[in-house]
Amino acid sequence: MFHWLEQRPFFFAVALFLTVAFAGFVEIIPDFAKASQPTVGTKPYSVLELAGRQVYIKDSCNACHSQLVRPFKSETDRYGMYSLSGEYAYDRPFLWGSKRTGPDLMRVGNYRTTDWHENHMMAPSEVVPGSIMPAYPHQFTNEADIATAYANANTQKEVFGTPYDQADMPKLGSWDEANAQALDDAKAIAKDMKNQEVKDAVAGGKIPEVVALIAYLNSLK
Amino acid sequence: MKSMVIGGILLVVVLMLGTYVIAGDAFQTDDYINMLTMVGAFAIIAITVATALKYINQIKNDTAGGELADENWDGIGEYKNAIPSGWGIIFIGSIIWMFWYFFFGYPTNQFSQVGQYNEEVLGYNEKFKEQFANPNEDTLKAMGESVFLVQCAPCHGVDAMGINGKAQDLTKRISKEAVAHAITNGSKNFTSEYPAGMPAGLLSDPKAIDEVATYVAGGLKGTAPASFASCTACHGANGEGMPKVAPNLKAYSDELVATVLTNGKKGHIGVMPSFKGRLNETQEKALATYIRSIKGE
Repeated sequence: MFHWLEQRPFFFAVALFLTVAFAGFVEIIPDFAKASQPTVGTKPYSVLELAGRQVYIKDSCNACHSQLVRPFKSETDRYGMYSLSGEYAYDRPFLWGSKRTGPDLMRVGNYRTTDWHENHMMAPSEVVPGSIMPAYPHQFTNEADIATAYANANTQKEVFGTPYDQADMPKLGSWDEANAQALDDAKAIAKDMKNQEVKDAVAGGKIPEVVALIAYLNSLK
Repeated sequence: MKSMVIGGILLVVVLMLGTYVIAGDAFQTDDYINMLTMVGAFAIIAITVATALKYINQIKNDTAGGELADENWDGIGEYKNAIPSGWGIIFIGSIIWMFWYFFFGYPTNQFSQVGQYNEEVLGYNEKFKEQFANPNEDTLKAMGESVFLVQCAPCHGVDAMGINGKAQDLTKRISKEAVAHAITNGSKNFTSEYPAGMPAGLLSDPKAIDEVATYVAGGLKGTAPASFASCTACHGANGEGMPKVAPNLKAYSDELVATVLTNGKKGHIGVMPSFKGRLNETQEKALATYIRSIKGE
């Protein structure tokens, strides 16, 4: 066998690759499989939150904000408990980010509220003096894409087995149900908001992007 | 052969002499490290030359021998040589060692990032406790300010005035709107400290509400309006509150600040999140001290 391989560079390379790859698999796969299990209490995003997540990605929030609290005292004092890999189980894709121009947002839902985000997205420097974050007034008029968010959630459910519609998990249901549910969620958010145009839009059955984004940010805990 | 030996000895002597000329003063100090280094240098010269000569000699004089293996690669063959026994022992030994290391010896409990974090936090907490066992007013104020700037300023503003009504103005105890809102809607924010809460609609006459709101927002100065009697049962005749019943209306007491931080608040301005577990008792007290100190401009 080895004599045979020794004389055939191609198959020798294949055999070498398989041997090294096997070593990699035994070392990486078991720990990886364990760490990627969802943490107890981690739930998939609701449709409205997913729509907000798309806004977050679309407006490139992740270019300046990370979502990963490292286990250092200075970080946990400011942001809360350090992140566990299982907490990202339903993040597709994850939004760890690689640079903190702004603060980390992993647990922003714990210490910021709907009205704060509303003020902040409209004019960040009015809330945080010296902030270099740009304003996002278009989020107050653009409509959130609930249909895509539903498709996103449904794909995750069908393809990746994300546990929607299970006990103690968010309900997804049919498109009509999900759409109605998203609107209900949006109404709950809009109740805490002050912007009359946003309130009117939600009352009229439309969901501005900022409402979806706030739903998403509030869900980050 | 003979000429090589003579040449080798000559080379060694020349190299050693050269070294001695360049760095020979190493022998003239008391520092034995320098001396050892020089001896080492001479040893390296001797060993290198001797080894080089041995192989040069071998290349010149050795003849091929032994049995050829079956394969040859484009005419290049291979002798059947037994592996050196020392190498073989180490090879087999390291395979055995590998099994031991893989299954028993691997240091799984050596370093842990989270363990390091836990130690860091424990160490910090101990130091904090020691350093701030009996903080004085100034220490509390300074600590309160630094906590405020990190945790509170994003909503209340660095001047604590609430950024034009976006959050509570902490330089004043309470605003007229807040009092009127609480009377009309009741308040069940602080369940951990005041479990009964405040019922809605204690006063219904708009004029009475306005009077009480003006009086409370004005810091309870002058004569109380008659309808303030509805408040005194819980908040006390002087408005300073009662433990476990109702908070102080006059000032931000330690108790009130700690309660708001624990429960968060939903009022006429908006929602304040709970800071439960994020600050320790000393820090909460420090915050209260700091907030009281910035009263007024």
